[in-house]
Amino acid sequence: MSGERTMRDWYAPLEIYTLSAWLRVVVVVNLFLLIFDYLRDDGLEYSLVGILLLALLVKSLPDGSKSWRRDTSLVLSGAIVMVGVLSVLAQPIGFVIWMESWLIIPGLISLYWISSPHVSMWNRELMELAKIENGLARNREHSAAYQRIGKHVILAHFAFIVLLPVIWIIDISLSPGNALGGSLGDSFTTEHYSKILGGDQFWIWMTNSLIVSIGTTIAGLGLAVPAAYAFSRFKFSGRDPAMFSFLLVQMFPGIIILVPYFMVMKTLGLLNSHLGLILAYSVTALPLCVWMLKGFFDTVPRELEEAALLDGCSRFEIFTRIILPLSLPAIAVTALFSFLAAWNEFLLALTFNTSNDMYTLPVGLASMISATGQSWGDFAAASMLVSLPVVILFILFQKFLIEGLSAGGVKG
Amino acid sequence: MVSVRYEKVTKRYDDGTEAVKELDLEVLNGEFLVLLGPSGCGKSTTLRMLAGLEDISEGEIKIDDARINDLPPGARGLGMVFQSYALYPHMNIEDNLSFGLRRMKGEEKLPEAVIQSRVDAMAQMLGLSEELAKRPKELSGGQRQRVALGRALIKRPKVLLMDEPLSNLDAELRHQMRGEIRRLHEELGCTTIYVTHDQIEAMTLADRIAILDKGELQQHCPPMEAYNNPANDFVKGFLVKHLNDIKETADTLFKD
Repeated sequence: MSGERTMRDWYAPLEIYTLSAWLRVVVVVNLFLLIFDYLRDDGLEYSLVGILLLALLVKSLPDGSKSWRRDTSLVLSGAIVMVGVLSVLAQPIGFVIWMESWLIIPGLISLYWISSPHVSMWNRELMELAKIENGLARNREHSAAYQRIGKHVILAHFAFIVLLPVIWIIDISLSPGNALGGSLGDSFTTEHYSKILGGDQFWIWMTNSLIVSIGTTIAGLGLAVPAAYAFSRFKFSGRDPAMFSFLLVQMFPGIIILVPYFMVMKTLGLLNSHLGLILAYSVTALPLCVWMLKGFFDTVPRELEEAALLDGCSRFEIFTRIILPLSLPAIAVTALFSFLAAWNEFLLALTFNTSNDMYTLPVGLASMISATGQSWGDFAAASMLVSLPVVILFILFQKFLIEGLSAGGVKG
Repeated sequence: MVSVRYEKVTKRYDDGTEAVKELDLEVLNGEFLVLLGPSGCGKSTTLRMLAGLEDISEGEIKIDDARINDLPPGARGLGMVFQSYALYPHMNIEDNLSFGLRRMKGEEKLPEAVIQSRVDAMAQMLGLSEELAKRPKELSGGQRQRVALGRALIKRPKVLLMDEPLSNLDAELRHQMRGEIRRLHEELGCTTIYVTHDQIEAMTLADRIAILDKGELQQHCPPMEAYNNPANDFVKGFLVKHLNDIKETADTLFKD
């Protein structure tokens, strides 16, 4: 008998089970939406009532005993739907409809599920044991899928938030004229792209950026890989202070080193040159590269190097034949990191290279805004073209990236 | 004649602790010597000094009467099997085996055909012929152990060093590999130094055992002699009592 009691106590139909999880998330989402209400100055009454009702509904979901809970839940769900609909009627615009559907849709789902025959049977304690067993099996079978649906609804919102600016820029770059407004996808043109790609300037900037970024990657890795290996493997005096001072430099805002860098470059005659930027970028990227690579080298077991020593390798051979091949994923990540840092850097590039022929892409982009009287269409098209190489790099290196970021070196 | 001699060898770390104290030890040609002791007794350090992975603080180590203290590890003519196998993960088994052969310098440099035939012969002997194209992570623990053994033996080392090579294997495989190591030793007759903390391994494998405690040599003799005539209380406790306990447990288990 106690077995049956346990089953009854532990069983809750899939609907209730899922609702109690989903509704909690819905409460949190509605709390976030409250911020939008506040910012838009829409009046908080509807939203506050909605949240209150939702919270009550979470508390009053049926628990499988004969009680007032089921009826209360149905009334609350209905009220939630009502609040949502009223709010939409008060202000029937797209954004509000999206916001209030976070009340209306959960309300409707609760109404439908709580009133289902399965739940009402369970609520009146009329369920036979066999049915409960079936129900438990059903929970196991479907609950994962329901959870997935819930997760993806939330994730879709995040993805949308992240993608919105990108979509916007794409739309502007493909719309005629140079205005920022207009609705999505009204008319289509490639005039901005042909203008940018047809002109000389963009290609000059692109060449500069490529030279500087690739140069930075090579110079940065050339310095960071041996340095990280030494930090990881050798004991020498000043090792720990050196590691720390690397981090220390990173703690200051970049603008502090701007002036000293400028003076150094001026003295060396490296203003308006690729080399100046390459030097500055590799040095600024160095600390993080060294720390990342050191972390990876630390995971390569010492015994591997000892085995190689006994196999007749010199220190240098161990480095080139054992450590480097094993570290390719980590090196790829570091390379990509320094490339990106150089590709997107603005401040140093703006300060060092004042002639139009030496602009890198970010500086060039910025110069477009003032020089051509805010031609946003051209600007958007150019931004898209600037991002393209980075996107391609990421796609090409995706496999390496995941390995390099997650793997701790060597297993087995 | 290959023999190894430790003469008053001391290992002192930077913080002043002495891992090995004035060790005198001789390993005869073709002998299977087991260094036995509890963890922290200095047995691994003793082996690693011979391999060149640790500096020698005082004293001399000689192979064939030549002082090897300052030779680089690769030039000492040794093969070593590590506890974690330490196979090169990015190379296939064939490259793992041939890696050391390809690093040989000067007059010892081997033609490709010789390397190939040695790899094939070694793979055959260890039953790895089917696995040559695989990566280490695709092999089972026992197979990896065999590759590690093959990699150490393929250079025809003057002395084979093994540092707790079986401690990562399960009991069944350990038993099997123990037999195999002994068989290989009898086949090849290679001078072998084997480090373990396992008394059974020591008793079954060794021609002679050297029992160490706190960096000092306690007894150096054939295994049965150490069992029958323990030199001091430590050997009595660590070796004799332990073996008797095992024997007793087995006797009670199978009494009926």
